[in-house]
Amino acid sequence: MNKEALLSIAERDFILDALREDVRLDGRAADQLRPLTLSFEEEHGHVKVQLGKTSLIVRISAEVAQPHDDRPFDGIFNIAMELTAMGSPAWDNGRQGDLETYVTNVLDRVIRHSNALDTESLCILKGVSCWTIRADVHITDYDGNLIDASCIGVMAGLQHFRRPDAVVKDGQVIVYGLDERVPVPLNITHKPLSVSFHTFDEGKLVVLDATRKEEQASEADVVIGMNNAGDVCYLSKFSGSPVDAMVFVTKTTVALDKVKEINGIIDKALQADLAKRAKGGLAEESRAANDR
Amino acid sequence: MGGPIASLNPLNRADGSASYKCVSTGSNILGSVNAPIELPGRRDALKPEEATIEVFVKPGTAPGGVGERYIEGVIRNALGRLILGRENGYPRRGVVITLAIVGGESVGRGGSYLPLLPALLHTAALALLSASVPLSMTLSATVLAVDSSGEIIREPSVKDAKAATSLHALAFTSKGQLLLNESEGAFDFGTWETVYERALAICHGTSTLSSDGDVAMTENVDSQPLEGVLRDTVQDQIHSEYAWKIDAA
Repeated sequence: MNKEALLSIAERDFILDALREDVRLDGRAADQLRPLTLSFEEEHGHVKVQLGKTSLIVRISAEVAQPHDDRPFDGIFNIAMELTAMGSPAWDNGRQGDLETYVTNVLDRVIRHSNALDTESLCILKGVSCWTIRADVHITDYDGNLIDASCIGVMAGLQHFRRPDAVVKDGQVIVYGLDERVPVPLNITHKPLSVSFHTFDEGKLVVLDATRKEEQASEADVVIGMNNAGDVCYLSKFSGSPVDAMVFVTKTTVALDKVKEINGIIDKALQADLAKRAKGGLAEESRAANDR
Repeated sequence: MGGPIASLNPLNRADGSASYKCVSTGSNILGSVNAPIELPGRRDALKPEEATIEVFVKPGTAPGGVGERYIEGVIRNALGRLILGRENGYPRRGVVITLAIVGGESVGRGGSYLPLLPALLHTAALALLSASVPLSMTLSATVLAVDSSGEIIREPSVKDAKAATSLHALAFTSKGQLLLNESEGAFDFGTWETVYERALAICHGTSTLSSDGDVAMTENVDSQPLEGVLRDTVQDQIHSEYAWKIDAA
């Protein structure tokens, strides 16, 4: 199993014919995102992402652990994603499917390998203790474009998360509780996001942010990972039929626009949440500056 | 004490779903049910005349482990008594229940799942109701902690649960029968009896069975009985779903 029910031929043809006339099932333009909403829960690093009908929950957690022997200066950062029957009836609980491996791999490459989270800043005491940051992605509804949605969720979660403060005193590590000291935000070096495109009709039609049905009707997918500055940190053409080289050239420009747009939405949501928390929070109490 | 907050059908793809938030323990559970569903490649293991119930508990911020597998078994056994797996269309099929702990403090490695058990059971029951899975009855559950002075704490917080000498999770069917009894720690029969009485009152109130078989519920010291909370959640959902019909009448 672990595969969605196939589209009927009529449905596939309908999607394709509509796309040839520049019409998408939900009335979007080819380079338009579905409506994206982010909401933060009370706990730091707990994000709900809703992208069209795809929705997921990301929870970031921190734990003190021993660093890997070969990298004594580095903290540990993991992205854990497990597809359960909650997201789609086609997914089996406790069994890894192709989609899960693929999405986890892309997330790893876009966020972890591009060093979005500075792991060296997670070191507490060389070779003895460091922070382990874990991002858990729970897919609650699957309607296509899992990669972009989870990427948005993890990046928003990392920016929202605050870890407890830890201090080394006489070789002893002291971790202060969340109510004892102002928790510390993570050190984010840059904000990469992925943007996926799907191609149809021998690569002539390229569509952004495909829904589940569009994904099933498509021939191939192209994923571009990029940050606000336009640095490409991931580029993949994983499977399916060939795609023209010009698609990569033109779509990187589109991707940059989208990355800026999405990062704008994330920033706005973070600001709104921060403003809500600022009232009567610990950060406010411990601030030394006077009101002018 | 505030009662739990529950809602039905928060998800689109699953056949039935429920979200449940327990105010006193702070846990937030999202549950989904897919039923009846074709289970692949396990024909030999199935009881041919009954539906197979699968429960999956997904911790919020940790990989799943032995603790989850154990509590899955407990939940599966309890729900197996409620689900009518021989109804038309269910034999040889699966009832897949997925429970994700999306909020609140997560259970550490080797930690006890008992404080979360009532929330998990309630979420599962509500999700089953929202998926319209045939049930013989519903359930309500609670967890009580007994501290060193013999005082009973209802739905203890993580800190209280750690300090308690014994923890008791009890579930009752909608008819008031004891469905599940899981205890931890040292206690004697007398303690258990008082815990049982208190749990029954929390779940059912001091209910009286009227002559027409309807269960009349009265409020007591523990505010609204849990059985009533679940009933109200489903009633509200039905009310909003049938608004078109009710308004027309």
